[in-house]
Amino acid sequence: MLPNDLTLPRAKISRLPMLSRWWPSPYTLVVISVFILLALPLVATLGYALATSWGATLVPEGLTLKWFLSLWSTPRFQWAFARSMFVTVGALALSLILVVPVAFLAHTRYPRLDAWMNGLILVPFAVPPVVSSVGLLQLYAGGPLPLVGTPWILMFTYVTIALPFVYRSIANSLRTIDVASLMEAAQLLGASPFKAFFLVILPNIRIGVQIAIFLSFSFLVGEFVFANMLVGTRYETLQVYLNNIRGASGHFTSALVITLFLFTLLLTWLGNRQAGHALAKEVRL
Amino acid sequence: MTNVTVNLSEHGVVPLANSTAVQRDSSDSEALSDSAESAAHLRLEGLTKRFGETPVFSNISAEIAKGEFVTLLGPSGCGKSTLLRSIAGLTQLNEGRIVVNGEEITSLPPQRRGVGMVFQHYALFPNMRVADNVAFGLRMQKVPPEERQQRVENVLRLVELNDHANKFPHQLSGGQCQRVALARALVVEPRILLMDEPLSALDARIRRHLREQIRDIQKTLDLTTLFVTHDQEEALMMSDRIFLMHDGRILQQGDAEELYTRPRGHHAAGFMGNYNVLLADQARSLLGEGFNTSRVALRPEAIYLEPTEKEERRGDWPIHSGPGCQGVIRRRQLLGNIVRYAVQCGEVVLSVDALNRGNRHLLAEGSEVMVTVDLDEVQELEE
Repeated sequence: MLPNDLTLPRAKISRLPMLSRWWPSPYTLVVISVFILLALPLVATLGYALATSWGATLVPEGLTLKWFLSLWSTPRFQWAFARSMFVTVGALALSLILVVPVAFLAHTRYPRLDAWMNGLILVPFAVPPVVSSVGLLQLYAGGPLPLVGTPWILMFTYVTIALPFVYRSIANSLRTIDVASLMEAAQLLGASPFKAFFLVILPNIRIGVQIAIFLSFSFLVGEFVFANMLVGTRYETLQVYLNNIRGASGHFTSALVITLFLFTLLLTWLGNRQAGHALAKEVRL
Repeated sequence: MTNVTVNLSEHGVVPLANSTAVQRDSSDSEALSDSAESAAHLRLEGLTKRFGETPVFSNISAEIAKGEFVTLLGPSGCGKSTLLRSIAGLTQLNEGRIVVNGEEITSLPPQRRGVGMVFQHYALFPNMRVADNVAFGLRMQKVPPEERQQRVENVLRLVELNDHANKFPHQLSGGQCQRVALARALVVEPRILLMDEPLSALDARIRRHLREQIRDIQKTLDLTTLFVTHDQEEALMMSDRIFLMHDGRILQQGDAEELYTRPRGHHAAGFMGNYNVLLADQARSLLGEGFNTSRVALRPEAIYLEPTEKEERRGDWPIHSGPGCQGVIRRRQLLGNIVRYAVQCGEVVLSVDALNRGNRHLLAEGSEVMVTVDLDEVQELEE
């Protein structure tokens, strides 16, 4: 999933000839089968979340919204939802504030920084969460910064997890524009370096920034290991909540999973629509 | 501009001596021409730039008059682009002063120098429409919207792009992009226009057309322009004056005719046109004349060929007098209106250009010819 794919003209995708009028081509069949394979667990979960009860029969016995309604009206769920949002949004904001200037400087002034960053962004993948969370626990359980059990440690940890997504997609979109010349052109026309950055560079890497946000968001909202180990029930996020109520009704947890999924889907759609709008605006004229 | 200056002096605020003189109307400039310093609109004084220990250019000095179109011509790596960028303030100089209109701008940031610049790869803002690209400079200057719109319209009409104001840069052709870039640089009314190989990325036909358009606009606006190129034809066609650069120095300057017909050194002769540069000994053995310098340059189109075999003289051959020698045609290249021969004369192979005046005048490879050289056009080279 290259971020730049979004900017490609869609008409370029060539159409494969249809075998006949009524039969879809084999390619279509393959795509449909893969889609069904991937969608089946989700559809089953959705069915369970909507079923009055689903025991010995092939299809649910009746449909109801009561699981969703009772989930949404549970204060513990609302709190967990709010906490997850707070930690995730905070982590994303923090990592954007940190990474955008770094990527910009690595691209313009200090090209060697890019090599360093490319090494650094591998670390969150190389070190398993279980290992690094033990390290974090040791560091921040006491000492001068007793952060364990507070949302802050989670937020800071999430910044490091989001780093690869954020850095890479921003660096990629910087690579598609001639940053140095654009900055120089803007400055010669009377813009200060700051203005030049905000008026000329930032709008041109906006799609990269959005992709960074949505990729990391869906990843972070689903994060469980760090949330459970570093904070656990002291600051119950959605995934920890899901884990804690797994003994309760299966319908209830299914409703939670579906809610989470729909929320992520909504955000992704919003992000895509934004990017699509930008594209449509350019093509219209 | 004139009024402002005059008023200032009347009120006892005396600007720099230079600026009073320079900021007068161009009608005054003849009266002032005796003082070269005051006639210069842009003055470069001993500009030197080094990257670490390596000099990029050193001790460049020049005076450029208001409305003059000056081309920096040279092979890549001769420092011409860096010189241009240092005048724009995009690169810091190690030594030297830049004076525009009597005001020193050497240490000003780019945005306060009053220079416009056009880049090789346009550097248009991809997120903005043509009109917004052009209006950018005016927005930065906080020009009110109505006036801004009017000025954008005017300048887009000047570059013949008023129908494309609402397009985005990626919807335009290369030539159109470069015209937008030109409009964007012009709209803020810069004191000096800098162009860094603006035509190099374009295809030949567009390039020829845009050359003329740029020159026309520059003349209309009476805009002092510094133009960087490595294309000698471009330089010869467009410039009032050409600075021929090599290895960070200005080798020779002059108008197109002077630079082309009287190259002073062998670098100049090698870069301008297609000169044959011979050692003096070679030239003496060829032409039977003595020369005062160690090298001489022979212009390929000032050497004439005549077939020696009678049966090949099917057409009328103009009679040329002058020193000459016998030669054999080794290679023939047809360049359209010109035929380029490589002629072996003793040890030397001369490049000779003849007008392609018809098939009966074409000389075959391997045929023997009489080579005549127009001695008036033989240049003795200083270095």
